[in-house]
Amino acid sequence: MVNESLQDKIKNEVVVLASSLKDIVDKFNKLQHPIVESHEKVPQATQQLDKISDQTEAATQKMLDTIEAITEREQDVLEGLKGIVDSDINDTIKSEVNKLTEKVEANVNDAYSIMDALQFQDITSQQMDHAASLLEDIEEKLNNIIVVMDGGQEAKEPTKKKVRAYDPHADVYDKKTNQDEIDSLFKQ
Amino acid sequence: MADLKILAVDDSPTMRRIIVNTLKRAGFNEVIEAGDGKDALAKLKAEDINFIITDWNMPEMDGLTLVSNIRGSEEYKKLPILMVTTRSVKDDIVEALKAGVNNYIVKPFTPDTLKEKINEILNA
Repeated sequence: MVNESLQDKIKNEVVVLASSLKDIVDKFNKLQHPIVESHEKVPQATQQLDKISDQTEAATQKMLDTIEAITEREQDVLEGLKGIVDSDINDTIKSEVNKLTEKVEANVNDAYSIMDALQFQDITSQQMDHAASLLEDIEEKLNNIIVVMDGGQEAKEPTKKKVRAYDPHADVYDKKTNQDEIDSLFKQ
Repeated sequence: MADLKILAVDDSPTMRRIIVNTLKRAGFNEVIEAGDGKDALAKLKAEDINFIITDWNMPEMDGLTLVSNIRGSEEYKKLPILMVTTRSVKDDIVEALKAGVNNYIVKPFTPDTLKEKINEILNA
């Protein structure tokens, strides 16, 4: 009687355990699909980031082409204006030409200011490389999980990684050390 | 200034172009470009360079390794080197100083700062 009661208890425990294991396996199987889906989407996100970098690079190069063309033309205008000022003209005309010269010089300086501001492209490109690198780490970890879930078989051919060289702290506005502090380090 | 041939090393084509334009506006007309440290060493051998402006983060060979290579070379060890990089953490600047750079600018830079630091190095 005692043995039957113990056997019943053991049987009940095994049934509960089997039910719990089945729950775990079901949940495990349910996880697999979103993990595989995430694993497939991560390289797409990485590719989009690389696309942004490439396209902003291309657009920036076009802007630089235009700026160089503008500044070259304005330099020609300045030379022409200087030629007029150096020629035999009355003071009124000379004064007007000098005013025009100032405006052209201001245009050239503004064009160069735009050029200087385009440095943002290098910095944001590094920020995107950093984000892409983090995504590639996630892709690798997801791949490892899938390998375990599949019993040791590779999920798929790993995505070929771009060689990335970036500063993880690159920032257009936030400089951790200012130029005066840098100068004092070099003077020591 | 007339005899100065500058090597501008940066993996970003945009940044190289901005540096070249800035140098020309400052009166430095002879500028050679390189895309990384390895390319820079090849250009050093091929051209008569007497000043180097280099980025830090570059593929193949980064700027710090380039500087170490130059300072370790009998032929090029005395070349003036200005580092122009996004790295602004003090420890990085000290590391570059120890590697042998003559001066250091954090991007984005102004044309006046670039010209000033080049002249400071040349007049040192």
